[in-house]
Order: sequence, then structure tokens, then C-alpha cells
Amino acid sequence: MRLLLVEDYLPLQKSVAKGLREAGFAVDVTGDGEEGLWYAGGNDYDVVILDLMLPKMDGLTVLRRLRAEGRATHVLILTAKDTVADRVRGLDLGADDYLVKPFALEELLARVRALARRAYCTKNPRLEVGDLRIETATQRVWRGKEEVRLTPREYALLEYLAMRAGEVVSRTDIWEHMYEFNSEAVSNVVDVYIGYLRKKIDLPKHPSLIQTVRGRGYRLGAAP
Amino acid sequence: MTRSLKRRLLGWTTGGMVLVLAVFAVVLYAAIKRALTGSFDESLALTVQAIAASVKQSGKDIEVEFSDLEVPEFHQADRPSYYEMWLADGSVLARSASLGRGDLQCPAGPTDALSFHAVTLPDGRPGRAVVLVFRPRVGDPDEDEKRGESEGRRTLKPSIPGKEVTLLAARETEDLDEQLASLRWLLASAGAGTVLLVVLIAAVVVRQGLRPLGSLAAGIASIRENDLSARLPADRMPAEMVPVVERLNELLGRLEEAFQRERTLTADVAHELRTPLAGIWSTVEVALSRSRAAGEYEEALRECLEIVRQTQGMADSLLSLARLEGGQTAFRSEAVCLAEAVDALWRPHARKVQGNGILFENRLPADLHCTADRDTLVMVLSNLLANAAEYTEEGGRIEISGGAAGKTVELVVSNTGCALSPEEVAHVFDRFWRGDSARSATGVHCGLGLSLVERAVRALGGTVSADLTGGRFTVRMTLPGCRGGRTQGDNNGDARRGPR
Repeated sequence: MRLLLVEDYLPLQKSVAKGLREAGFAVDVTGDGEEGLWYAGGNDYDVVILDLMLPKMDGLTVLRRLRAEGRATHVLILTAKDTVADRVRGLDLGADDYLVKPFALEELLARVRALARRAYCTKNPRLEVGDLRIETATQRVWRGKEEVRLTPREYALLEYLAMRAGEVVSRTDIWEHMYEFNSEAVSNVVDVYIGYLRKKIDLPKHPSLIQTVRGRGYRLGAAP
Repeated sequence: MTRSLKRRLLGWTTGGMVLVLAVFAVVLYAAIKRALTGSFDESLALTVQAIAASVKQSGKDIEVEFSDLEVPEFHQADRPSYYEMWLADGSVLARSASLGRGDLQCPAGPTDALSFHAVTLPDGRPGRAVVLVFRPRVGDPDEDEKRGESEGRRTLKPSIPGKEVTLLAARETEDLDEQLASLRWLLASAGAGTVLLVVLIAAVVVRQGLRPLGSLAAGIASIRENDLSARLPADRMPAEMVPVVERLNELLGRLEEAFQRERTLTADVAHELRTPLAGIWSTVEVALSRSRAAGEYEEALRECLEIVRQTQGMADSLLSLARLEGGQTAFRSEAVCLAEAVDALWRPHARKVQGNGILFENRLPADLHCTADRDTLVMVLSNLLANAAEYTEEGGRIEISGGAAGKTVELVVSNTGCALSPEEVAHVFDRFWRGDSARSATGVHCGLGLSLVERAVRALGGTVSADLTGGRFTVRMTLPGCRGGRTQGDNNGDARRGPR
């Protein structure tokens, strides 16, 4: 899952980005509204976390412009403004959720996960593909009755594939949803991680779950 | 005195009415009594004159031709009247039969020709008496004698010397007294009734009259401290109450403004506190979310410490602001040399901006002094200098100039590199207001520095304003001058304004 965090207060920006990354999200970070709009307009983020009081362009303007451009990205507003009027205005302008500062990081993570699920039209926090079971809340994975231990990056890749189970997912899509804007570009990094994942997921006694669709990408589970 | 307006009005009205009615009744009673007594006396006087007309002097004899029998009142058994006549020597000339053995008191001393008195009758009843002193008319004694004989009358006390006869007739006044008594009763009861009616009417009138006070009280009572936008209606109030209502509404307006400021401030403060709290919270939470290397914990703690320091700075500024606004700052005015103060306060910034190529120019005359509380002035100047040092671009210019202008001292601090629009400059003194460039450093700048400057300069008795002059952010202020200091300033105003 790839997120955009637009927050101008540096200590908060730093710690929230760190918390999100440690939770397995790829996070792009910016401190001003104009840059935030530019990022959000040019990339297919799963969730945008948007502060309202921002330099150069305030959060509500960013949100309005984003929606005017036709972007359906899920937006979570993160702000110190807490009046009902503020929340209503934010939601009316097309925000999907609202969190008032200060907040518990756990709550932010939970809300971000919920928004990410909705991005793939599922509300079930438990993803199942064949005998593969993923609990998104705890980020634990089972193959049959056996729990599979994954690194955050492997988990992120598996979760993304599971969200789009049955679909052919291109390498570009995977790249865009797993890696941050300024990540070092290694052309075959997706293939490398698919390899790691196969080793852990496709156990000997179970059928292979991750299919390679030549020239197009990968697919988790059987085609519908 | 009672403190109830209603009772007081009622009391005064009733008291005044009672007094007026009493005076009226007394005057009326006196007039009627006088008239009644006058007509009583008049009829008594007529009787007396009739009796007197019957007394004749023929020669030395005095004849009385009057008989009790001719006038029933002198011989009736029930409440008779009385008369008695005396000669000048005090001897009785004639008396009414009704006197019986009793006697009337011959008035002593000189009396007028006709005088009236209140007396007690021989039978103890109250009465009025008329005294007539007269000279009997002189007639022909023979003729009188003849007629006297023919009419069977006798001549009393013939040939008695003396000319004056005193006649006293008395008549009981029971009827008159009764009339007067019923008049008194009538007046008293009519008066009491009137007073009662007046009290009732006054009570109603007072209550009606004071009703606007009641509705005003209800209006005031309905105003809640959480909604001071309500105003008391003045249109239905009587003219006398309108000023009161208007003053109250003005007071409400001022209160509302003050409360609004207070609420805004509280909301602003809460809002401003949320950001550093969120910073601490998430920093600590992330640090604790898994076990980490010691260095990572140390970094998190340092970050938190920095946030706490900045928040403490904001709390200090807010406290100074509150103290300045509440007038709780104790000022000790003294002459302060501005050029020296600016130089001293610039030193810490000079090190910081070193290498940025910023040109700092203190053009204040060396002997320019102002009268101010040193600590407050230092706070003002250091805030302005810190602001200038923060926002001046690399290679920019900071300029301090000023001079004496009459009784005040003018001080101008300007710096290049202002990213604010003229509209934004108008807000620089607002609490918690931050320009965009400052917002990117949320936490470092809480947006209170220039508010503090503004309140402090006002508290020092000066004025302060900000504008963009030739693209430079310029803060101009005036401060009270110093008598012992420089008075003739080199007001190099044009030079300091820079290119246009």
C-alpha cells in the first residue's frame, strides 16, 4: 500500500511517516500543499493523509482540486481543527475520514488500513485466497494451518496482490503501490520480491498461488 | 426608608394625598362652620334687635315692651332660649321667664355694640350668646304711660338714670353642633374613602408604570453567558427607560466582544497545543512500538525535548501577552538609549546570520533616548530583531532607524526578503497568525512574537504599525521620548524608506 503524508509540522511528519513505514506502508512525505497536490495528482496513492493548515496551499484547497481533477484517492484529513463545522466541511469537500490531532498512531493506522481496504472494494479485514489467509489488522499470514512469517515488504506485496486477487497485476502497479517516490529504482526488484514470496507462500504440499502471466504481470489465485 | 420603588411611590402618593385631603377638609369645614355659625348668629342678632327695639326710654324711665310670650323660644319647655338685660350699673332690667331662678353672666369689661360668644347655658347645654349694648330709644312718657295702661303693661324701674342697656340673649346650639358633627363625619369618611381609592389607583398605576422594569429584568434574566448576542428590546420601552436599555445593550456588546476574544483565544491556544502534543504523542508511540537501538530512543527523546522547549516558549509568550493585556506588568520607566540596546540585542543574531551576507545597519542616533520599562522594551526589540533575522533572505538587508519627533521617539525596523502580501501584512499583529513562510516552521514560530510586540508597545504608551515599504517589511513604532535625552532628532525619514 502506498500512502502520501502531507503534514507541515516536522516532528509529527517524521514520526507518523516512520510509524506508517514500520507498519509496512510505502509513504511519500511532503510539507506543503502545492507539493502535496502535485504528488497526489501524479501518483495512484491508496490513501492520502492530509493536514489542513499547510503553507502555500491549504489542505481543503488541495482536496477540492484533487477531486476536481477526478482523483478518487481515499483522503484522510489530519488536523487540529475539531469543530463539527470543520469536519463537515472537510467531509463535504470529498474527504473519506477525519482524525483530530493529537491522535494515537494505532488509530491512524487502523483508519488508514480501513481506507486501503475500501480502495479495493473490500471491507473484510481478513483476506482469503484458496487456503491462504491474511489478517490485515495484525498483518499475520497463514497457509492452511501453518503461519507464514513475512518481512513487512513481503507482507505489503502479498497484501496488495491479495486485495486484487484473481486480477493480473502489472509490475508497474506493484511498483507504484509498494515503493516510495524517491526509492532507488531497481528494475527487477518486484520480480525479486515475488521470488521471496513464492518461497514462503508456495509450500510443497500446496498448490502454487502466485502465477506469472507472461508479458502482463502476476496474479494471485485462480483467474475468475 | 424602604428600598422598594413600588412601596416608596405608593407611600409618597398616599402620604401626599392624605395631607392634601386633610388641608382641604379642614378649610372646607372651617368655611362651612363659619357660614352656619354666621347665619345662626344673624338670626340671634335679629331676635336681640327685636328685643332691643322694644326698650324705650321716656324721661328717666326705661320701658321694656317685649314679652316672652310673643316669642315661643323664650318660654317653650323644651330647650328654651334665654335673655337678660342689664343697666349700666349692673342691675337687671329684664329677663326671660325661661331663666327661672338661674342667671346669665353679664359680660364684664367693654364690649362692642354687638358681639357673639360661645357660652354654657344655665341648664348646662352649650349655646351661643349675643350681647348688644344699646341706648333705648326715647319716647313720650305720657303716651307710653297711656298705652301702657291700655295694654295692661307695667313700667319697670321708672326714672332710672343711665343711658346704656346691655342685652344678652342665648340660644342653644345643639342643632348647629349636630350639623357640624355630621359635616365632620362626612368629611372624614369621604376623605378616608378617597384615600383608599387613591391607594388602590396608585397601586395599579405604579404596578403598570413599573411593568417595563419587570420586563427589563426578565429580559436581562433570559440572557445566558454562553449567548451574549441577545439584545434587550428598546422599541417597546418607555422613553425614560430607553437610555438604560441602550446602555445595557452597549455593555452587552462590549461583554460579547470580550467573551468572543476569550473564546477565540482559548480555541486558538487549544488548537496550537494540539500540534506539539500530536508531535510528542506520535514520536513516543512510534519509538515504543517495537524494541529499538538505544540511539533511536535517544533521538526520539531529543525530538520530544525540542517540542517541549518550543511549547514552553509559546506558554511564556501567552503568559506575557495575558499579563500585558491584563495590565499586570509592573513598569519602571527609565531613559533607555535605543542605539545601544539595539546593538546589544543584535549580537546573538549577528553570529547566527554570519555567512548569509545579510547587511545589518543600525542608523539610530547615538543619543536617542526613550522613556520605557527596560525589560519590556528589550522584549519588543529582541522580538523585532529575531523576526528580521529569521526572514531576511541571504544577502538581504536589515535597517534600524529613528529619531525624536516632538515628545515622542520614532523607531523603524525594516528588512528585505518579505514574502507577505500587503493583505497579509495587515495580520502580522494577530495572535497565532503565521505567514506561509513561517507556517512551514510550525512549532518553531507560534505566531505570538509580533502580537507581543504590539501589546507591549501599547502598554509602554506608544504605537506600532507594519507595512510593506518598497518591498521591505517595515515596523514603525513611536515611544514616549525622554526629556533629558535628545529632543532635536535628525528625522531622516526619506533616507530610511529606501527605493520606491
